[in-house]
Amino acid sequence: MTTSRSSDIALERKGVNTTRRNFLKNMSLVGGGLVVGLPVTGCANVLLPNAHESVLQPNALLQITSDNVVNFYLPRSEMGQGIYTGLTTIVGEELDLDPQQINVINAGLHEDYKNTEFKLQVTGGSNSIRTHFLPLRHLAANARLVIRQAAAQQLNLNLADIQTDNGKIMIKGKALDYGEFADYANTLPFPEDAPLKDKHEFKYIGKDNRRLDGVAKATGTAQFGIDVDFEGLCGAALKRCPIMGGTVKSFNDSDAKGMPGVKSIVKIHNGVAVVADHYYQAKNALPKLKIQWNLPKTLSKFSSDSTAADNGKGLFKTALDSDNATNVFEKGDGLTALKHAHTVISAEYWAPYLAHATMEPMNCTAKLADNRLELWVGCQSPELAKNLAAYYAHVPAENIIIHSTFLGGGFGRRSESDFVAEAAAIARASNLPIKLCWSREDDLQNDSYRPASMARFTVSLNKAGLIDSWTVKRAGPQLMPYAIDNVVDGIMPSILPNSLVDWMSKAGYRLYNSLLVDHTSVEGLYEDYDAPHKSSDHVTADPGLPVGAWRSVGHSYSGFFKESMMDEIAALQNQDSVDFRLKHLKNNPKLANVLKVAAEKAAWNKGLPKGHYQGVAVHASFSSFVAQIAQVSVVNNQLFVHRVVCAIDCGLAINPGIVKAQMESGIIDGLSAALYGEITLQDGVVQQSNYHDYPALRIHKSPEIDVVIIDSDEAPTGVGEPGLPPIAAAVANAIFAATGTRLRSLPLKLEG
Amino acid sequence: MISFELNGKTTEVTVAPDTALLWVVRDHLKLKGSKFGCGMGLCGACSMLIDGESTRTCVLPMAAIQGRKVTTIEGIGTPDMLSTLQSAWVEASVAQCGYCQSGQLVSATALLRKNSNPSDNEIDEAMSGNICRCGTYPNIKKAIKQAAKDLGEDSGQLQMVAYFDPNSIQQEA
Repeated sequence: MTTSRSSDIALERKGVNTTRRNFLKNMSLVGGGLVVGLPVTGCANVLLPNAHESVLQPNALLQITSDNVVNFYLPRSEMGQGIYTGLTTIVGEELDLDPQQINVINAGLHEDYKNTEFKLQVTGGSNSIRTHFLPLRHLAANARLVIRQAAAQQLNLNLADIQTDNGKIMIKGKALDYGEFADYANTLPFPEDAPLKDKHEFKYIGKDNRRLDGVAKATGTAQFGIDVDFEGLCGAALKRCPIMGGTVKSFNDSDAKGMPGVKSIVKIHNGVAVVADHYYQAKNALPKLKIQWNLPKTLSKFSSDSTAADNGKGLFKTALDSDNATNVFEKGDGLTALKHAHTVISAEYWAPYLAHATMEPMNCTAKLADNRLELWVGCQSPELAKNLAAYYAHVPAENIIIHSTFLGGGFGRRSESDFVAEAAAIARASNLPIKLCWSREDDLQNDSYRPASMARFTVSLNKAGLIDSWTVKRAGPQLMPYAIDNVVDGIMPSILPNSLVDWMSKAGYRLYNSLLVDHTSVEGLYEDYDAPHKSSDHVTADPGLPVGAWRSVGHSYSGFFKESMMDEIAALQNQDSVDFRLKHLKNNPKLANVLKVAAEKAAWNKGLPKGHYQGVAVHASFSSFVAQIAQVSVVNNQLFVHRVVCAIDCGLAINPGIVKAQMESGIIDGLSAALYGEITLQDGVVQQSNYHDYPALRIHKSPEIDVVIIDSDEAPTGVGEPGLPPIAAAVANAIFAATGTRLRSLPLKLEG
Repeated sequence: MISFELNGKTTEVTVAPDTALLWVVRDHLKLKGSKFGCGMGLCGACSMLIDGESTRTCVLPMAAIQGRKVTTIEGIGTPDMLSTLQSAWVEASVAQCGYCQSGQLVSATALLRKNSNPSDNEIDEAMSGNICRCGTYPNIKKAIKQAAKDLGEDSGQLQMVAYFDPNSIQQEA
């Protein structure tokens, strides 16, 4: 992964401190070189590898060592979405170095790695490429310039004569490694305004590059959190309350103690943990624990299939019918418009709780020694993880070191740090270095679920058959109160006693829910289409099951709701689904364009095989615009999804292959949810436990997928999530075309 | 004591006979390429070749392994010596999160060993035991077909490793 050192060219130089360089080499340290990054504070609690500890490190993203190793410390978490390759491509482009030759390191914690939008070190919101596009280009362009300046000064040449080509300084037909000039460059002021390349100069951006993590992931050598191992590391398993939020009243571990390999049994905040020589031994001992639980009051009463007005779907329906809603968006005068409407159409939709079911179960390794906690974890929010771990391990946050790994899937699940908190608590209570691993059952039954949601649309049309008013009300839990509950523990100053922090986090839930609406609750329900009058309301209906960000967050249900509604209106008006949408996208040209492109690519309603039907859906999310057309057949009430055409406008596609893969990924993930996904509860207990009752789409059900990426010069936007929201509606609308049956609930179930 | 062949090397372990092969390979023998996904043989992340057949090892007791040949992802190819299938996988940039990929490659290797030119339906059938939550299925199909083509042109090998030295492992973090 490193460029070879060119030493065959002897050029006279000035100002190289060879003594220091040799000293460092002899010490087997790579101390010389250039360490640059975005300008931030020096509050580093992690010393970068590959740097001598005496070297001042104000910045932490990029290193060019005098040994000509270019290290890029990946500030975001790679969970499949491709930023390991994408961000490195951006760096390589302006550095003029093949990204394949850049050594990418999953970064630990550092101020420089903060997500500029969230102001925390968090990966999410499909914003990694979007927010890093310019800063990383400037960083790399400035680094390339300072290397050129160093070369010019050392070789007594004009800067204009110093050109670069793939990591080499080119002089008179000869090539010298960047690393040759790294030491000297480090003595120069770091430039701030090196010009950026024009699009037509790009060598790597916009090209089909191989993924940089491809070899490691094809050979089983990519390290995930679950693969972390060292001498003396014990395996830990945790028995939690069958109803989330419950705590241990009392327990008896006499039968578990004698199980093979068991070393320690400890009670923590949410359960009883067994620590053993190996994880499988700890897991085997769990059933031997006898635990009495304090059950959570609210959630224990909830059953998904209850028909009562205050339970099951009735809880949501009652909320919708109530007058308690909070208005989130208002434009025009919808009530008056309704009075004068020519036609009014109303419909209700439902989307259930969903689990993330990442392939890699949650896990975290924790080693506590000398009031210092080391964590090894693949997570989306290492900064919150650190703070929560500090709270649960009773260690100052500055004494925590996080080693980041690849993530075996994220989808939002790993933005939560509950499993890190558990690992920290077990390490503290057992005084052993432990790797906590969750079973699949733990994973499906202790998630931060996609909130179940019910929505009611009331849409009025004018005489011309165009939408006059668009009113929508959504009932369901909100994410933010749960996030506050989790986050407050992690962000409060450590001088506050834990009991006060606990009180604040619980109070935060109630305060938030009674005063504020989290925008993710309603996002995507009302924005996309033209209407003179619009109104969107939210009302909280919350059985008490923890909820969190699930790939595309609110859009994961609003895409289905809104696009099904639009299809219903078009059908009732006997209008073509594509034409009717286009009539209402005059103010949304990018969404209109992807719709036209997808319709053309899919040969919308032209010459389909016998028995095949199409359905369309469009949705804007994470600053990107996506249209999808699903082609299905229904035979004896069996649904087959044959083909999906997808068009996306995500601005400039950094790696078109990854954009295409993310569209396929969003569609397949969205199909799992559309066809199967449903978490249900019985008296508060999650009923699903593994992939047999919470299935994921398998290869033989996976449709042919054609992706069109709109050619664009605009700055890049999100791709990890926007491919998901339209697919459920595209399939449901195709089912309507095939059968005349309108399915308003997810998952889509054809009556047998 | 249970004796079996792991990646070309005779291996002996002393564990409870009902211990699943996956945990012995991962925790006792320290080969981390095979993954734990479901513990019920449903997802395929733990797949290994047992006498050439792709097998779910999270539910396979060691007692059933005595005297048999076990090949893990580490025994198929290495970063420096990719099998033809692994090369096709890298070229097609199949992996996303990557967690299920060892299992996918094991199942695809077993398929190509038996069927040098699988149809779409045959690929579906052979690979339907392996879940990928990232949805890499379109690229999996592409890579399997490319590898079949390359192997058919006699320009590759399904398995590059005759004997795997566990001390050679380097994980990329």
